[in-house]
Amino acid sequence: MSEQSKDVCDPNFTAEPSNSEVYGSPGVPGGPSPPASQAATLAGPESPPLGPTDASLALPPSQAPSEEGDPKALQQAAEEGRAHQAPSAAQPSPTPPAPAQLVQKAHELMWYVLVKDQKRMIIWFPDMVKDVIGSYKKWCRSILRRTSLILARVFGLHLRLTSLHTMEFSLVKALEPEELDRVALSNRMPMTGLLLMILSLIYVKGRGARESAVWNVLRILGLRPWKKHSTFGDVRKLITEEFVQQNYLKYQRVPHVEPPEYEFFWGSRASREITKMQIMEFLARVFKKDPQAWPSRYREALEEARALREADPTAHCPRSSVSED
Amino acid sequence: MWNKDRPVPSYMQGSTRRVGIMTDVHRRFLQLLMTHGVLEEWDVKRLQKHCYKVHDCNATVEKLEDFINNINSVLESLYIEIKKGVTEDDGRPIYALVNLATTSVSKMASDFAENELDLFRKALELIIDSETGFASSTNILNLVDQLKGKKMRKKEAEQVLQKFVQHKWLVEKEGEFTLHCRAILEMEQYIRETHPDAVKVCDLCHGLLIQGQSCETCGIKMHLPCVAKYFQSNSEPRCPHCNDYWPHEIPEVFDPEKEREAGISKSNKKPLRSRQH
Repeated sequence: MSEQSKDVCDPNFTAEPSNSEVYGSPGVPGGPSPPASQAATLAGPESPPLGPTDASLALPPSQAPSEEGDPKALQQAAEEGRAHQAPSAAQPSPTPPAPAQLVQKAHELMWYVLVKDQKRMIIWFPDMVKDVIGSYKKWCRSILRRTSLILARVFGLHLRLTSLHTMEFSLVKALEPEELDRVALSNRMPMTGLLLMILSLIYVKGRGARESAVWNVLRILGLRPWKKHSTFGDVRKLITEEFVQQNYLKYQRVPHVEPPEYEFFWGSRASREITKMQIMEFLARVFKKDPQAWPSRYREALEEARALREADPTAHCPRSSVSED
Repeated sequence: MWNKDRPVPSYMQGSTRRVGIMTDVHRRFLQLLMTHGVLEEWDVKRLQKHCYKVHDCNATVEKLEDFINNINSVLESLYIEIKKGVTEDDGRPIYALVNLATTSVSKMASDFAENELDLFRKALELIIDSETGFASSTNILNLVDQLKGKKMRKKEAEQVLQKFVQHKWLVEKEGEFTLHCRAILEMEQYIRETHPDAVKVCDLCHGLLIQGQSCETCGIKMHLPCVAKYFQSNSEPRCPHCNDYWPHEIPEVFDPEKEREAGISKSNKKPLRSRQH
């Protein structure tokens, strides 16, 4: 990055990475191994007709549950929730639990998912089972379904299975237009700015960024590895541990170098949530240049954008830079 | 996909209360509010305007209070709500989406280890029991041996306390810790349930009180912003309970307009008044 800019820590960010990639998931892990026939036993105690798709949690935007389905489901859920004071601790029982308890679990799961997302933590299915569903594991499919419904209905968010392999979910905005909510609140998410700085550096370099290079850039923001920052706190810990734990960055030792040096790469989550075009826009904003000032990177970004559009024609074109100024 | 204006139906038979209508404006608002955790009123209003702009730019922006009540009527059946609070030290109105069904510090539970959660509980107890609403770092760290879970050294505990500050559960002032306004908003119910005897309550608004002023005669306590409002332009402030002369400096009522004009940036904002106890 050749140019320095006062506005490096670009305030125009939202915390929310919107996920334009849809990993089509044909099936749902209804817990580690419940057979499909479990679904049939659920039909008894709770009966909201949630629409045709029993199997798929990742409701594509074009497909909606039936018209009667959701208001009835929500109403039923609400009535059951109000009427019954279910205990918060799950009682292990072989028989299907009262509908109200499943409803309560769905509410707990909804909150759990929202908080995880708020904290930019991975929503991992085994964690959902361990922390919330507990002994209701057998009914987790219906609980998940209800939770998805509520999240969609009330928050306009899709609980999407982003990776069947790693059993990770993420919350994806379902509202149109899908775009970053820039400057809805400027200056609120400095973390995102910091992260994007590092990701941009890595991207522009075209390979891993040595820790020393990263600190050179962060110096522009007045950040030093040994100094605690009023907003970021321990910056070094943030970028080498927290961002790594959240899978936004990878921090690895450079092979065959003595004394040991480390470098940063994009993490899997960054690759999923942040597009190259977003990086180009960030660079353009920060350095007040046209994105084409980095011609090969820009070309890459265009290619990626095209590939994304082809992979999922129902998703919107990502990132029109909506300026809120 | 969703018929965005279809109303969420009434959930109570015979209820006179209408459940509100959820549109994409409200949904985006909720999304963003959740993302940002806790927000000041000014930011919330901006957020609201932004959501209208994105989804329904021709509609009139509803009054914030009604807008929020509308959303809350829908959230009620989910045991969550957009809660409004006021910062204890300078009376700024704040908003957060909170879980009413919380019976433990469950919002923190997934972020912190067992011993860290216990450290928080210990700090919380010290804060509640203290006269000033602040617990000193030393006193908290001295309890490190009593923590559940893995053994924690004092050095480690210091860092955990900083983690709490960064996650906006605690606030640090000169080596002492008190609850962040967000923590008070989110955990009020939990705190009242788990410390029914030790908990202090404001004599005016009856809300949970961590920091405030007390009457030296009869001992009642009031929040600083409550004091400010109650004694506004009163040259002879007297205790509402025992009528004795109120011995503390009366703070100023929070004025968002004045804030903005002065152009005070958030990072170097001076407190509008000093802390009194």
